[in-house]
Amino acid sequence: MRGTFLWRHRVVLTSGLLLLLALHLLSAGVAPGARAEKPSLALMWMLKPVQNLEANIADDTSGFFHDYFDLVNVRGENAELRKQVAVLEGQRTRLAELEVENRHLSDLLELRDALAMRAVAARVIGADATEQSRTLILSAGSRGGLRRDLPVVSTEGVVGKLIAVAPNVSRVLLINDHNSGLDAFDQRSRARGIIAGLLNGELTMKYVDRSEDVKPGDAVVTSGMDGIFPRGLLVGQVTRVSQEGPGLFLNVDIRPAANFRKLEQVLILTQQPPEIAPDFKG
Amino acid sequence: MALALETTVPHWLPLGMLAPNLVLILAVDLGMKHHGALGAMLAFGMGYAIDSFSGTHLGLNAFMLTLIYVIAYGISRYLISTSTAIGVILVFIGAILTGLANSVGSVGLEATPATVGIFPRLALHGAVSALVTPLVFSIMGSGRRMVGLRARSVRE
Repeated sequence: MRGTFLWRHRVVLTSGLLLLLALHLLSAGVAPGARAEKPSLALMWMLKPVQNLEANIADDTSGFFHDYFDLVNVRGENAELRKQVAVLEGQRTRLAELEVENRHLSDLLELRDALAMRAVAARVIGADATEQSRTLILSAGSRGGLRRDLPVVSTEGVVGKLIAVAPNVSRVLLINDHNSGLDAFDQRSRARGIIAGLLNGELTMKYVDRSEDVKPGDAVVTSGMDGIFPRGLLVGQVTRVSQEGPGLFLNVDIRPAANFRKLEQVLILTQQPPEIAPDFKG
Repeated sequence: MALALETTVPHWLPLGMLAPNLVLILAVDLGMKHHGALGAMLAFGMGYAIDSFSGTHLGLNAFMLTLIYVIAYGISRYLISTSTAIGVILVFIGAILTGLANSVGSVGLEATPATVGIFPRLALHGAVSALVTPLVFSIMGSGRRMVGLRARSVRE
């Protein structure tokens, strides 16, 4: 076997085959529920316990370390006292963390009641490994009744929609990802547009007619016409409006209502918004 | 483990481009020191795993990591060298190429201000990844010595 052409070039041949396989996956564009998507869902499922563990460690230790660094600067305290304070601080941090989590869940419950829709609460356990795309990993999956394209919201506003769902874990595409798009309107002027993410993580409202009276500070809410997000959910606030060049549309910058970096718990709306009769569509 | 860290840490510690691309460093290490079909499969598998947790194009990172593995393999085989300096340069270039591929995967070849503005950020990401490369290489080397694995780096 050794010395044959296949053996001598096994690395290049294997790599070539794998590159072709990757290109095939890319060009085919894996459809929802396709067979090629199954291994990736299985991987998400397998890695969930590790991510859960890391998320728990991060929860428990982040507050503790902040307090600990403050303590380091205090001079004159004896070692025993510092140790006791650190232990007490650790306990306090854990209690505070529980209180915050409790408050978040209460807020989500209130939000669910206000929306009058069936919803599932989930914990954020991870984020995207690449800086160019923006997704989060959630602790609930198809066993909790989740499926692709369900809207994800927080108490602050719209977060995104589910793009991959494994049995006990799922992935949400944030609204500031470049591949994201949702139908929304300016609450004051009623100007409609498509909210899309930019490569740098900022949000913009596309296709707003130049004649529209959109102003900085206006609230932007979902229109419900994309068939995914229910009408009236807060998306963000207009921060800048400009008319550069001879184009037909305004450049509208949006600051998202939800702080994606600080999301800990989210709500996934499992009930689709009611269909809007064609007569009422704008 | 590298993938679990890369998908969990960014959410709790927003380092952005300052977070090194650990999986890429591992792919370069594999390419330079493991000349076998298994190395290529591992590089592909790591890329596929990233695709499962990141981005919206299944296969993009699998393609890039396999490509970088092949480049690292080719360079180490034909230069007969596994020098850390070459690994550092490969990681720097690989991080920029992977970032560019992800950007092109997201926006195509559209030259928007956001696309143009990404170059300095990618260079920073490449530099940070390159900086931690010697450390990761030495950890991998120690790990290999501990389990008694032989690095196959020169012409067999």
